[in-house]
Amino acid sequence: MRDLARLITLVERDDAAAPALRAGPLAAIEGNLIAPVIGVTGAPGVGKSTLLGAVAAEIAGDRRVAIVAVDPSSPHSGGALLGDRLRMAIPHGDVFVRSQATAGTSGGLAPRTYPVLRVLRRLFDIVFVETVGVGQTEDDVRHVVDDLLLCVQPLAGDSIQHLKAGLMESPDAVVVTKCDEERLAASAVTELRATIGLARPDTDVAVVAVSARTGMGVSDLVARLRAVSVTRREEDADAWFVRRAVREAYGRQGLTRLAADPTAATASLDERLARALSFGSSPL
Amino acid sequence: MTRLAEPDRPWIFRTYAGHTSVDASNRLFRDNLARGQTGLSIAFDLPTQCGYSSDDEVARPEVGKVGVPINSLDDLRALFDGIPLDRMNTSMTINATAMWLYALYLALAEEQGVPAAALSGTTQNDIVKEYLARGTYIFPPGPSIRLIGDMYEHAVRNVPRFNPANVCSYHLQEAGATPVQELAYALSTAMLVLDELRDRGTLGRDELHQAVGRVSFFCNAVLRFVEELCKMRAFVELWDEICRDRYGVEDPQLRRFRYGVQVNSLGLTEEQPENNAWRIAIETLGVLLSRDARCRALQLPAWNEALSLPRPWDQQWSLRLQQVMAYETDLLSYPDLFEGSVVVAKEQARLVAGAREELARLDAVGGTLLALESGVMKAALVASQAERIGRIARGDQVVVGRNRYAEGAESPLVQGADGGLFHGSPAEAARTLARLHATRAARDEAGVAAALERLAVDARSGANLVPASVLCAHARVTTGEWAGALRGVFGEYRPPTGVEGQHLSLDQQAVDAIRARVDDLTRRRGRRPRLVVGKPGLDGHSNGAEMIAIAARHCGLDVVYAGIRLSAAEIARQAIAEDASVVGISVLSGSHLELTDQLLATLEAGGAGEIPVVVGGIVPAADAEALRRRGVRAVFTPRDYDLVAVVGRVLDVVDA
Ligand code: B12
Ligand SMILES: Nc1nc2c(ncn2[C@@H]2O[C@H](COP(=O)(O)OP(=O)(O)OP(=O)(O)O)[C@@H](O)[C@H]2O)c(=O)[nH]1
Ligand SMILES: [Mg+2]
Repeated sequence: MRDLARLITLVERDDAAAPALRAGPLAAIEGNLIAPVIGVTGAPGVGKSTLLGAVAAEIAGDRRVAIVAVDPSSPHSGGALLGDRLRMAIPHGDVFVRSQATAGTSGGLAPRTYPVLRVLRRLFDIVFVETVGVGQTEDDVRHVVDDLLLCVQPLAGDSIQHLKAGLMESPDAVVVTKCDEERLAASAVTELRATIGLARPDTDVAVVAVSARTGMGVSDLVARLRAVSVTRREEDADAWFVRRAVREAYGRQGLTRLAADPTAATASLDERLARALSFGSSPL
Repeated sequence: MTRLAEPDRPWIFRTYAGHTSVDASNRLFRDNLARGQTGLSIAFDLPTQCGYSSDDEVARPEVGKVGVPINSLDDLRALFDGIPLDRMNTSMTINATAMWLYALYLALAEEQGVPAAALSGTTQNDIVKEYLARGTYIFPPGPSIRLIGDMYEHAVRNVPRFNPANVCSYHLQEAGATPVQELAYALSTAMLVLDELRDRGTLGRDELHQAVGRVSFFCNAVLRFVEELCKMRAFVELWDEICRDRYGVEDPQLRRFRYGVQVNSLGLTEEQPENNAWRIAIETLGVLLSRDARCRALQLPAWNEALSLPRPWDQQWSLRLQQVMAYETDLLSYPDLFEGSVVVAKEQARLVAGAREELARLDAVGGTLLALESGVMKAALVASQAERIGRIARGDQVVVGRNRYAEGAESPLVQGADGGLFHGSPAEAARTLARLHATRAARDEAGVAAALERLAVDARSGANLVPASVLCAHARVTTGEWAGALRGVFGEYRPPTGVEGQHLSLDQQAVDAIRARVDDLTRRRGRRPRLVVGKPGLDGHSNGAEMIAIAARHCGLDVVYAGIRLSAAEIARQAIAEDASVVGISVLSGSHLELTDQLLATLEAGGAGEIPVVVGGIVPAADAEALRRRGVRAVFTPRDYDLVAVVGRVLDVVDA
């Protein structure tokens, strides 16, 4: 675990020396089979971490599970309290959990969440990513996962708002958390189905009720997650990551300068990123 | 006549005591009683409080460290050897396992032919403050409240002179509560328990009123003794009203706010420890001066509170203070001194109004249980503590010998061969283990299995759990087995930590300087320094770790804080997975050497021996030296109150 943890640090580092240092280790695993990545998102405090803990503990029996959990950094100090892992009551450390801080980026993920997911999916059987507690516009996560769970709390007006606004576009399933009482679960699910029917009449978004407290619905959700396979093309996710970095560095202007990179198929993510950033900065 | 016809009888003098083993504690109790102490106040060790037998792996470093270990009826019998149960008022600081100690006490009385009706005493049994401030919780809130309810039901009918629970504001204040929070949270806890009893509907009206009358409180008093005196009067006023209006109790006797006190320890300093003697004396004023709101029982900390457990002489010195107060002064000869005082009435009214507002806020978030589980209450306490620490760090709150008049002559009190410290006898744990093994060897295993089965069945069915627990006691079930059976049915619980979203207000210049250092380090390393803070073992003293976590984030570090009661191995695992730049553990339970060894060994075994480790807490100077020899990079104690400076030293370690 120590080696893996240090490799992740190397992947997270953003100093000039890091790309060269990680090129070797990353190349060594680049060809590995890739595992599905599942995203868990939703408003602050809806129960994402607690649920992930319950889900991961169950899956860990027969699969190698990794989790990346993102928490917000303080805009004043730059520091963060990485509190998600505390909520994931997973016995005996048989799940690999790594915390990240947003470090000032918006979008719900940390600057280098994606490169870390890219490593973990080559070393584990299933990978989860928990976003920060998000508002309505922070949905970067949808670009990097094969399946996205949106957690909402029963009877929470703001979650209905989320659904009506942008976030509703992305999830593959809506999970109603904290349904400790059956009655609550039933009414929440009915209400949500109706809302979703209005917001996305064309698609068929699953609605599941769970309680991490009582365990209700967790096994069903786990069964669904076990069935998730890799559906997103990694090239697409890579391209999104590169574009996002360019946009972050140079704004929309930068994107317009991004020509198709002929080396994309063979170069490492770091190389593509470096090239893109140099395109982005090159004078028109 | 301004004086009373007859002077009042003094309050009960107690000394919070117990350590090492049942034999050592029995000797201690008998000595204290011989010196004029009039009631027992038992400190249990952390394994007993957290429901582990002494031979459990998590218990081993902590056996007998901060209290007496009780594994079975055999232990309790030895603890009370020569102490007549029917003539003793016994206060037990026991919470999650309160029903177990109650059952053992009943079983012992039965064995000795003492009628249950003759027993008097208290089990602390306030689980809400365990989640919020004290840390010896086991089960989730629902089942925990049920256990308390079961005990009331049983005691009201069978042991009428026993207080099954003692609602505690004491620990809330030690965790940072303001007087208003202390009032509101304690009263809301009392209502939570009584509502449970009322809503069960198993008690008759009279019995319910008796139960209301049995509720007693355990409060705190800081140096601001005028406000504290008014706080106690506010408690009396509000409790009377609650008993009357909420529970319909007509008998004023049953509405009396009865309370015991330990005066404040949080404000007692490691620096110039002799000053603490004055502080303790002054703190008694708040709970003694006003006759209408005087405590029923008092226990005092000692001058060396921030250094170690008290030695016998230290306890005696504090006991003498009570005796001087009661027997040499004229305090007990007068009616209430504040009757008609406009100032006191106004201050009391302010506190009452504040408490009502706070109670309304709890109602608004859905009641005490929800406020507890959602972390609202805990976060409020942590915020108050952060505020207090900030005031002291900035010098806005004077602490003599700490942030003012810090220079002075060396204290002769710490010059003796023992350094003024209590030195435990860790080897005695072997006797405790031997006794436990003897109990296991001698008992009838079929009887044990049957008793535990009955306990689990009753736990599932909802039957009152006292009879099954008494059965377990007689069968020589052990503490770990009793709690284990209930863990199996109820599960375990970890409450919120309250550290997220907290603010500190510290000297901005110092903070800016350290943030600049952190940013520089971040640039150089390509990564923000990451601190994993943890509390290994069964220690519940969360204040220090919480403040360090908040301060480190405030200074710009990324911080993983996982709360209290983790194994050293778990902390090591977190440090490794998070690739921590530094791991900090906080230990105030006296087990710092053993737990640090465990941490260092697990880090080493995980190939992470180079992650630097720092330790904070109650660490005597000699032990600090020992820790450094083992490879610990820095050691912090209460005198390191300047949080920015502490974070600075942690950064030194990262950047070494
Ligand atoms: C407050 C307090 C409590 C509160 C705790 C509230 C809470 N949530 O924290 C309550 C009332 C609940 C409590 C209970 C008990 N207490 Co107490 N308590 C204290 C007290 C008075 C102050 C501790 C404190 O909070 N200080 C304020 C914080 C901010 O300071 P700090 O923890 O020292 O931390 C500072 C430094 O040490 C350092 N630091 C600490 N940790 C770390 C970690 C890192 C990484 C770093 C960098 C720095 C660092 O930096 C901090 C900032 O200044 C001390 C005595 C004293 N005056 O110190 C006794 C004391 C610690 N308690 C003691 C005991 C025995 C108990 C009990 C175990 C008694 C019992 N038998 O039941 C119980 C049970 C608690 C449990 N579950 O473990 C003993 C411990 C004896 C020993 N170690 O040998 C003490 C020393 C009192 C005594 N003299 O007997 N206690
Ligand atoms: N009653 C109940 N409470 C739950 C359940 N799941 C989570 N909670 C509580 O909800 C609170 C928040 O849970 P988290 O898992 O930290 O929520 P989160 O969405 O990860 O929070 P952030 O990461 O801070 O956005 C905690 O107090 C949990 O104990 C549940 O199933 N039932
Ligand atoms: Mg979370």
